[in-house]
Amino acid sequence: MNCREFRESIAELGVNADLLRHSSECAECAPLLERYRSLEAGLGALAAELRHIEAPEHVELGLVAAFRSQSRRARGADRHKWDRHKWWIPALSWATAAGVLIVAAMLLMHPHRPLPAHRSAPGSVEMAAVTDSTDVYAADEDDGFIPLPNARRLDPNEDVNVVRVEVPRSAMLSVGLAVSADRVSELVEADVVLGADGLARAIRFVDEPIL
Amino acid sequence: MNVNPPETDDELFVRLRGGEEAAFVALYRKRQGAIYRFALHMSGLANVAEDVTQEVFLALLQDRCGYDPERGTLSGYLYGIARKLLLRQMERGRVDVPLESDSEDAALPQLAVDDNALEDLTHREGIEALHRAIRTLPRRYREVVVLCDLEEVDYADAANVLGCPIGTVRSRLHRARALLLDKLNQERQIRPPVSALKVIRCLT
Repeated sequence: MNCREFRESIAELGVNADLLRHSSECAECAPLLERYRSLEAGLGALAAELRHIEAPEHVELGLVAAFRSQSRRARGADRHKWDRHKWWIPALSWATAAGVLIVAAMLLMHPHRPLPAHRSAPGSVEMAAVTDSTDVYAADEDDGFIPLPNARRLDPNEDVNVVRVEVPRSAMLSVGLAVSADRVSELVEADVVLGADGLARAIRFVDEPIL
Repeated sequence: MNVNPPETDDELFVRLRGGEEAAFVALYRKRQGAIYRFALHMSGLANVAEDVTQEVFLALLQDRCGYDPERGTLSGYLYGIARKLLLRQMERGRVDVPLESDSEDAALPQLAVDDNALEDLTHREGIEALHRAIRTLPRRYREVVVLCDLEEVDYADAANVLGCPIGTVRSRLHRARALLLDKLNQERQIRPPVSALKVIRCLT
């Protein structure tokens, strides 16, 4: 190792055997080695002295607050995501409520002028007179009519009308029929028996198997 | 009695990403000192060092935190963010440190091999002189001294932080130490050590 190599390698590689050998043989380089040793020792002492310096405590407090805030946001986002998957629950509730209101409005608000029912073709009105059906809608299940709760019984000679309407499937719930939860908002056709006073007495769901 | 080994940075990081506050706090307490000191050495300003430290650890909380264990250590990643933030601060002029334009090929200071050996730098006066000398180093030399000599970051990690080859880290460190020796020598000539002063008259 010559003096140039010594100077090039002294800072990069630290003190090694070659450097020591050269410095012991070279009067010019020996002080330089001492200077580097002194520098290294000084850097070590400075590092040790500065080691205790740390960020003020309020930095940690701020960061922890930020972490908590972010965690809350993340949890909120997860809940929102979950809620989006559960969108059908409020939709179902509202659909059911709307269905009940529609049926109530159609059957009770216009008792004297029942609306004609639609079958498949819009505008086709089908009305039928049912005569002499004494108490038939109290319990007779042959024709599939189910008495409506709290409805007055038909008089023996009372003229009745049957109208066909479309109602939400949820209306089946009101007469005690089971309805699949995922189908409550569908519309189904039903025949409704109206008494002479125009009030609904019984209902029959068309082509709907009773679950 | 079984004593569990301390968790590694990567283990803490995984728990942190899982939302564990305790892991975040543990990682912060483990690494904040080094990041804060690095920022303090580089900026010379405590408030900048605080801001940088805070920003560095906030970056860890981001969903798109770019830390990849395959590419380096978490410590190196944190230093890298701190360095970028500091450079940004310097560009904005918030940090009063000149953006020097010296190239890698700049000439080494003349090594004063014929000077007497330096005063013992492990003494109070020597340590303070060394600290002053480090603060006056150009940024690119100061950062390698701070990383490799004061914070004991290994050359590979330092190269990762600085975005340069290991050889460049070595050569910068070489030049930085030569500059330090030169500055210490100059200071010694301007301000002789207290022990070298000769008492002329005692006034009390």
